[in-house]
Formats: sequence, structure tokens, C-alpha cells
Amino acid sequence: MNVDKVTWVKDDQREVTRLCAQAGLMLLQHGAESALVESVVRRLGLALGMDAVELVLLANGITLTTIRGGGCHTTARRNLDRGINMHAVTEVQRTMLLAEEKQLDAAGVARRLDGIKPFRYPRWLVSVMVGFSCAAFARLGLLAQGAEADLGTYVLTFAASAVAMHVRQWLASFQFNPLVNFAVTAFIATSIAAQGVIHGWVDSPKIAMSACVLLFVPGFPFINAVSDMVKGYINTGISRGVMAVLLLLACCAGIVLAMTVWNVWTWL
Amino acid sequence: MNPLITLLQDFGLAAVPAVGFAMIFNVPKPALKYCALAGAIGHALRFALTKPSLPWIGPLPIELATLIAAGVVSVIGIYWAQKWRAHPKVFTVAAMIPMVPGVYAFTALLALVEIERKGYSEALLRTALDNGLRAFFIIAALAVGLALPGLLFYRRKPVV
Repeated sequence: MNVDKVTWVKDDQREVTRLCAQAGLMLLQHGAESALVESVVRRLGLALGMDAVELVLLANGITLTTIRGGGCHTTARRNLDRGINMHAVTEVQRTMLLAEEKQLDAAGVARRLDGIKPFRYPRWLVSVMVGFSCAAFARLGLLAQGAEADLGTYVLTFAASAVAMHVRQWLASFQFNPLVNFAVTAFIATSIAAQGVIHGWVDSPKIAMSACVLLFVPGFPFINAVSDMVKGYINTGISRGVMAVLLLLACCAGIVLAMTVWNVWTWL
Repeated sequence: MNPLITLLQDFGLAAVPAVGFAMIFNVPKPALKYCALAGAIGHALRFALTKPSLPWIGPLPIELATLIAAGVVSVIGIYWAQKWRAHPKVFTVAAMIPMVPGVYAFTALLALVEIERKGYSEALLRTALDNGLRAFFIIAALAVGLALPGLLFYRRKPVV
């Protein structure tokens, strides 16, 4: 048997295993649901010439094995959450699709995966848009009640949530634990809204108080948690769901603290 | 107010949080307009389905209306996903955000905190259970509605 050829085959498989792990880890870090991670990694491995790719997903790690001609390669990676980023998820998926269409070989996939720079919107723009979003929630809340429009409520909600979102992004840039971050920023949002209630700037204090903390509702993790569980990934589903509930509880701590400090109990 | 104008207002207002939260999720720029449209369609559809003035079928419970709205958005999302070569969740999850029951979830948790502070009372426990269960069922309806096309039509096939 030609020894050189055997080593080449092994190195080739090792490289594909490494690429599969890189792609899967990137998807998991940026908030893709488990079914998507598994299908993208499996299809990438098959497109690059493996016979099978088996994948075990955990909330904080990924283990995968590539199989070719009876030879197995297994690797494990630790997962650190990088925040939800649909741009990165889209790019990884397109790389896999190009590999499936034979437009990229292993070296091309490696270049493309290394070249993915997760896109982020400018902080101030996100803060302003989230402020408008929460003001829109306030209007929707009034609309559902059939109440009249109230400009004061919208302005107050906008200010409270835009400031809170800006602080949230600023604290996140210092790598604070998200639970700490959410508790602190929920305190700030409720405190600003409470000023309006104390000074009587708004006609519907309950709407202002509740709309300005809606930016903290972890909608994406909740939806991912349920769809993971529906599709049979009970483990990751439970982890994501518990994390989302903890984030909500952290916000609650911030809200209750702010309501105690300013003695404004309009919510309940 | 004219019901049609109310519906149009709901349609326009729901697009704003869909875009705002799509930016938190870093959805690529060209996809933002799809998020806005899907968010508006979903929320306005749910709004219309829960109105008492709805002809023939009458007002639907909010959970069922959410399931239908999420299913419709998911079907639209699959069409865009195939055109755009991206996973449908890129468009559809941001579109679900206006329908996420944030106020119910927070009210339920705050009622629990109140029980801890003031001691048990039936009114507080009722608030916690009513709001918590409603939040849970609406979130489940959102996720299952999004998964419906996959569960019914794309059973073993990938969408993209």
C-alpha cells in the first residue's frame, strides 16, 4: 500500500472534520436553531466527500464525527455565545450551498468561512430603532384597548427604551454577563418611565411602564427553544428555554428594584 | 374609529418593531424590508382574526389566531428563503416579535415577585397563572406556527 496516499487521505478527512466543526460552531454561536445546525453541517460534510457526518449538540458544545470508508474522525468544540447574528448564519449556509453545487472545494470553503466577519448595525442606529419599536408597542397597546392616542406616552417610552438599549449595548461591549446587563438596564428603563409617571407627563402610565421594557423580552431564544423541542432536540431546547426565563427574571429584578426606589407601582 | 383604518394602523405600527428587532438580530440589510412586511402581515392578520366584528367565524381566541398568523408568515418566509438562499428564520423570527407576549410574561413574573414580597393572595396567584399560561401558549403557537410548513410539507426535505 502506498503510505503517502494513506496519509493524504487522512489529512483530507481531518481538514473536512475541522471545517464541519467550524461551520457548526459558528451557527451555534450566532443563534441558529439545532435542526439548522445539524442539517448544514451534515450537508457540508457530504458535499466535501464524506460518507456520513454524525453530530451531537449541547447548549455549550458541539461534538461531531465524519466517516469515510470505515475511517472515523471525531472532534469537539466549546461553544461561547456571541449573540444572535443572522448575517453570519446566512453566510455559513450559503457557503454550504456553494459546496453542494461543487463551486467550492475544501480549500475554498475554508477561505470563505475564515472570511466571514459577522455584520453589526451601528449602536446608535439600533438604539433609535428600538426606541421607535417600543413606542410602536405602546401605540399598539393603546390601540388594542381602543384608547385615544397620547403623545406623552410615546415620547417617554421612546426615551426610556432608547437609552436602555444604548446602555445594554455599551455594557455588552465590556463582556458583562447578560443576566447582570439585563437587570441593570431594566432598572434604568423603568426608572426613566417612572419619572414621567411621578411628574404626570403621561395619561396612560401603565402602558409606558410596560412598553419600555419590551426590548428585554428574549423572543428569539424562546422561539428557538420551542422549535428545538418540537423537532426533537429536547436538550438544547430546555437549555435555551431556561436561559430565556432567567433573562426575564433578571429583568424583573431590575423592574421591581426601580419600582421600589421610585415607589411607582402602576404595573400590577 | 373606522375598523379598516384601525387595521391599517396596526399593519403600519407592527412593521416598526419587526425592523427594530431585526436590527438587534443583525439581519442583513436587504432582508430588512421582508422582515417589516412579514411582521406587519402577521400582526395585522392576528388583530383582524381576534376582532368581534369578524364575519362568519367570529372572534378567534388569541392563541389560535397567533398560530394561523405565524403559519401564514412562515409560508411567505419559505418563498422568500428559496428566492434569497437563506434560512426562513432569518425573515420570520423578527416578524414574530410584534406578536411575542412580552407584557403577559412580565406581568406573570412580577405577580410571582409580589407573592414573595406580600405573601400569598388569590388575586396575585390568579394574575400570575392567567398571564403566565397565556404567554406560554402564545409563544408555543408562534413556534409551532413557524414550524408548520416543515411539519406538514417539508417533512424530511430541507427548505433551502
